[in-house]
Amino acid sequence: MTVVVLEEDSTITMATARAPTASDSTHSDNSSSNPSGGGAEGGGDDVPDNSNFECNICLDTAKDAVISMCGHLFCWPCLHQWLETRPNHQTCPVCKAAISRDKVIPLYGRGSGNQQDPRDKLPPRPSGQRTEPEPQGGFMPGLGLGEAGGFQFHFGIGAFPFGIFTTFNNWGGAAAVPPAPGTQQYQEERFLSQVLMAMGLLFLFWLIFV
Amino acid sequence: MANIAIQRIKREFKEVIKSDEAQKCAINVELVGDDYRELRGEIAGPPDTPYEGATFQLEIKVPETYPFNPPKVKFVTKIWHPNISSVTGAICLDILKDQWAAAMTLRTVLLSLQALLAAAEPDDPQDAVVAKQFKENHSLFLQTAQYWSHVHAGVPKGNSEFAKKVRCLQDMGVGEHQALVALSSCNWDVDRAIEQLFS
Repeated sequence: MTVVVLEEDSTITMATARAPTASDSTHSDNSSSNPSGGGAEGGGDDVPDNSNFECNICLDTAKDAVISMCGHLFCWPCLHQWLETRPNHQTCPVCKAAISRDKVIPLYGRGSGNQQDPRDKLPPRPSGQRTEPEPQGGFMPGLGLGEAGGFQFHFGIGAFPFGIFTTFNNWGGAAAVPPAPGTQQYQEERFLSQVLMAMGLLFLFWLIFV
Repeated sequence: MANIAIQRIKREFKEVIKSDEAQKCAINVELVGDDYRELRGEIAGPPDTPYEGATFQLEIKVPETYPFNPPKVKFVTKIWHPNISSVTGAICLDILKDQWAAAMTLRTVLLSLQALLAAAEPDDPQDAVVAKQFKENHSLFLQTAQYWSHVHAGVPKGNSEFAKKVRCLQDMGVGEHQALVALSSCNWDVDRAIEQLFS
């Protein structure tokens, strides 16, 4: 079923992941004065003028306001709870554009003395998660061929005579993660690969000339 | 109930009451009890459909986690529609399930349901029997849906031939609604309906 009635005044924009992430934005963290955001709070019953600044989730005047890349205003606590409800399917509650924690912009009005990033307040901001990059492939610089980087030397002989030398790379099962250059292991493996290369070449010569 | 849920339902309640659609009597909500946990919705059948002139009652249950999860809505008034169970009134509509968004309100839900009445989705049915009739014998579906609107949802005029067949079954001691269901699901073939009822 695909019958959806959206608010008429909500422009349906499909703003998907294209913006610079706001994760590295810095804010002056003078957490001294009044902690309340946005003056008139609670939103009286008959204040139609304020409706432009109502959170799209709680329908109250937005507190700790953030705005999505598609231009929709929310209280950060409300939006956070929405994102938590659907961690695998984070869409804007108004227009269903893709949104995420890092793609909302905190709004700072003049009245709010505390210029702390609202995203840092209620749920403590998760610390950055960093994984080591995949190491560059190729540790076979033997005979000067592999110095360029990704060169890998595979040497295989099928049936004749015993199939001794299959792929050099998997020798000892250590090929999955090449050691970083400069370590002792790197030196050893480099030496080993050169020895094997020499043996392979000798074997070839033996095949051809004997 | 969580504070945000009550606050929101109160606001939405007023929004529906004040809305243009409510002025035109297209949608309405009423409180059931006084804690905003359960509401009674009402939608008018859209024009140029077999539901024109009808008024459908809906049961709306507001969960604790509203508005982060959708309200539970079902038809109280019996209706003949591919996406609504003719037995339980359960509704198959994506925005009441996984496509719910926190910015949707009672008003948009009621309007979506009204739109559903005007644009059925027989390929994603809730009631397979109705959906089959919708696809294979559309004119009979329209007549049946109109007759259900007449019997259950306050439309003044109804098909007299259908009324005769229902009365025929009623004379055999079958309840009116039971007779209506049997005849509707047997494409108004009286013999097959009798067979279905008494086998």
